[in-house]
Amino acid sequence: MTEPPPTDLPTSHWIPRTRDGRVATIAFVLLFLLAMPPVTHGVLNRVDLWLGGIPFLFVALLVVYCALIGVLVWALRRGV
Amino acid sequence: MEAWVVATGLIFVYLLATIVLGILANRRTSIDMEDFLLYGRKAGFIVLYLTVVATFHSAFAFLGSGGFFYTHGIGFWAAGTWTVLVGAITYVLGPRIWALGKAFGYMTPADMLADYYESEAVRVAVAVVSVVFTILYIQVQAQGLGYIINVASDGRISFEMGTLILLAVAAAYLMAGGLRAVYWTDVIQGIWMYVAVWVGAMYLAYELFGGPFELWRQVRAQRPDLLSLPGPHGFFTPGMWIGMTITLSFGIVFQPHMMIRYYTAIDARTLKILGATTPIYLMTLYIPAALVGLGGAIAMPGLDIPDRIFPELLFAHAPPILTGVILAGATAAAMSTLDSILHANMTVLTRDVYQRYFAPDATQAHYVAVGRGIVLALLFVGYVLSIRTYDFLVVLVTLSGSGALQLMPAIVGALFPGGRRLTRAGILAGLGTGLFVLYVTLLVVPHPLGTHGGIWSLLANTLVAVAVSAVTAPPSPETQKRIHGEVERQVYGSAS
Repeated sequence: MTEPPPTDLPTSHWIPRTRDGRVATIAFVLLFLLAMPPVTHGVLNRVDLWLGGIPFLFVALLVVYCALIGVLVWALRRGV
Repeated sequence: MEAWVVATGLIFVYLLATIVLGILANRRTSIDMEDFLLYGRKAGFIVLYLTVVATFHSAFAFLGSGGFFYTHGIGFWAAGTWTVLVGAITYVLGPRIWALGKAFGYMTPADMLADYYESEAVRVAVAVVSVVFTILYIQVQAQGLGYIINVASDGRISFEMGTLILLAVAAAYLMAGGLRAVYWTDVIQGIWMYVAVWVGAMYLAYELFGGPFELWRQVRAQRPDLLSLPGPHGFFTPGMWIGMTITLSFGIVFQPHMMIRYYTAIDARTLKILGATTPIYLMTLYIPAALVGLGGAIAMPGLDIPDRIFPELLFAHAPPILTGVILAGATAAAMSTLDSILHANMTVLTRDVYQRYFAPDATQAHYVAVGRGIVLALLFVGYVLSIRTYDFLVVLVTLSGSGALQLMPAIVGALFPGGRRLTRAGILAGLGTGLFVLYVTLLVVPHPLGTHGGIWSLLANTLVAVAVSAVTAPPSPETQKRIHGEVERQVYGSAS
């Protein structure tokens, strides 16, 4: 059977404890959802729309990917 | 000079360079397991960066990704999601794995998980999954290498001979210099393949279409079906998009040849910088792949084997010297993954099997010698697997991409204090269930409801692991406190 958890263990690591940690996590998750269905297959999937001579889907995802990398770099600089 | 002479000659120049690096690495290597197997835990940012990206991108990224764009269109740009996710996983998990390895002397994933879950059964299960699902990648990479050299030599060097030559070179520098040789050659390989893909793709775009923008315009005019989701064959459904994102990020990071790299960093900050910056390389490599694949669909439609689109275009339209440089880059992509898998299997078999169960008290020199012997055995196995076709191998290769993904609940449970505590019984039950469901959802009923089998198996694995853990004994309080306390120190600076 299970035992009660020891009382002197570290508290949970599932929720960031610092403000910067929360900002980085929320920003990453929200941006990541922009690169996932249904956004990709619904909103971004526009064959008729082009940006700078490149399909909108390709450009939009590139922008999202760069923003995600930006969040990681920001977290690094903030010491998250 | 004929194209095949230049192409083959450049590949051999490249192979010679790797052997020279292996010899130089050998002079720096001491007879010590940590030094031979883990680079002495001293890998700095540049070396670690290039070995991680070179290892992550295999022959598939170089050749197969172009083939994917060629066949299924723009949907393969989903590659950006899993490459960015690899960076985030490295950022979050890398420093934790590094800290535990440093504190408790872990060398393999099984070391860490067996210690936390206090179970030899967990050690054996993790070691078996680690070896079985990656040893097959030796076959995949070796076959890629045999194919590349066969194409480069215009059929003058047979597939079998090419495979043997390239396997033998990789094994030779690994035996000579251990992980140091792998890392040093990966530096060359990482740079070479990135430059090669970009130069080759841009050359072809200008040669065939007058530039990348005109290439896009031609694709829109002639094959608009390649520019929308889910693609001309309906492959990139939402379920496949999500499934490939999870499987090709977590599933690859949890393979031993990637996880072991986290142990080798000189410090935790190096891994955070690595996590924040590796997606730049990993993601942007798929931009030229898109140009090759989509442009190839216009310039050379109807290929029987779409993965050949890049070399076929080069031989048809590029000068021999450029073709040679780029095929050497393809060789680099395959060898940098192959040598890392050889090394990881050597490490797991030496550490988790031989040292643990056969000779626990031997000298460091003995283990290094055994490791070298294991590389020779892997060379033989890899060669036989590469030139023969067995039905069960086809099954295992299909499963291999998602096999390591089944370690996810165990790894997360060990590295994240809080939440539900998983137990050894839960982990083993979940792992067994996950592998069974993976078999069913990849081979018996492939990708049910349009969702990748890796997702179904991970869901089943996690549910069973949590359910069984609810009624079985967790790791002892002392072990939880010791290991999670170390994670707490690493992440927040002090144990609570």
